[in-house]
Amino acid sequence: MVTNIKATEDKNVSIKREAEEKRELCFKDEKCIGCGICEQICPLEAIELGPVGAIVRGEVDASKISIDENKCVLCGMCSVVCPVEALDLIIDGKQIKEIEEYPKLIRSITPEYDYCVYCGACDTVCPQDAIKVMRQLPERAKLVTGEIEVDKDKCISCGMCEDMCPAEAIYLVKNIPTSSNFEIASDIVVDKDKCVYCGICKRICPEDAIKVVCKVCPYGEYEIEEAEVKGDLILNEDLCVNCGWCQETCPKDVFVVEKPFEGELIIDQEACQGCKTCIEVCPCNVLSFPKPSEPGEIADKLYKDEKYCIYCGACQNVCPVSAIEVKRSGMNITPIKSKAWQKAVESLKETLHKPKTKAESGGK
Amino acid sequence: MSVELVIYPELCHGCGNCVVACPVNASKSTEIAGGKGPQEDVGQILMVEDGAIKIKELKDCNNCATCIKACPVNAIAMEDVE
Repeated sequence: MVTNIKATEDKNVSIKREAEEKRELCFKDEKCIGCGICEQICPLEAIELGPVGAIVRGEVDASKISIDENKCVLCGMCSVVCPVEALDLIIDGKQIKEIEEYPKLIRSITPEYDYCVYCGACDTVCPQDAIKVMRQLPERAKLVTGEIEVDKDKCISCGMCEDMCPAEAIYLVKNIPTSSNFEIASDIVVDKDKCVYCGICKRICPEDAIKVVCKVCPYGEYEIEEAEVKGDLILNEDLCVNCGWCQETCPKDVFVVEKPFEGELIIDQEACQGCKTCIEVCPCNVLSFPKPSEPGEIADKLYKDEKYCIYCGACQNVCPVSAIEVKRSGMNITPIKSKAWQKAVESLKETLHKPKTKAESGGK
Repeated sequence: MSVELVIYPELCHGCGNCVVACPVNASKSTEIAGGKGPQEDVGQILMVEDGAIKIKELKDCNNCATCIKACPVNAIAMEDVE
């Protein structure tokens, strides 16, 4: 009999069987969001979800799932439905998603790079740090034109221009006065790379020592080069969980996101005790504690913004008081030929399994 | 891997933070949810007895680690029991 060989590296696991064909199931813990869909679909109960709440909160150092190599038959169901590709079955060197016969969960993020103006909103909201926006702004000095002159004979070194300048373009070279040199400043300097010729220094100067002319104001922008912002939008699809934050936030409609599941997220506000485990576990930043909008208002204990939910069910699994229910009503998956597979995938739409309490699992 | 709540009563100062922070405890008693230590057994997971923490009933614990977060002296941990 051919047995499965398990290899563990850090928190990643691989289970291998080499018979007529080579099969290898690879689990990558850093990709895993702890949703437990693999545990739910496994026909042999070979996968067990770990204490995800405690792991995410840094109180337990362990892999988010454990796989029993003696039960696993390397069927690949878990890797097909894993919404973040933390599990991958490789058959004869080929990933299961590349093999035509197997169904594939449809999820995607498609950026239209040409629309991007590098505002950086997606970078700020992405809960998985999957998007980076790097931009190079043009030099400020090239977008303005004008002239500035300080009459140093009139200047009394009061420093008001320095205090008022919004561009930090004018400053005094300070001098500590002595009996031989009582000047409080030895010079006044204008940094022409920083000056935008706004004229505030001229208006504040008590001695009329500064002359400023902005050429843009009377003549327009004809002699100034166009303000061109260059940049890079870098998307790391490996980290993306298809939550849709970028799609909702982007003012330029750069992103189109397809989600793997449809469903409903139900919160029992009465049952919730505000422990925050779900908020920390949710890979999509769907949940938060709301603040009352006015004093005395009783806000919900737990707030959800369901448009970002991928119905993975991680929150339900970690909730210690069963205050969250995730109902999956639809799966975005390519057609399945096998009856057994159809049934298994369909079972993910049923009420999510409740994590076994210690009493139910016989004290284990 | 199977982990379980483990307590170190010798480190405990008996503050009771964990007792009222535990969401399972709070769901079992409005007294606990309101921040008051339980006087009687309501099936709570944790309870302070004689000045130190005690595990009363572990079956409803879902390993959320909220008690650990609330403990100021590291008297609670989650450890491998296999």
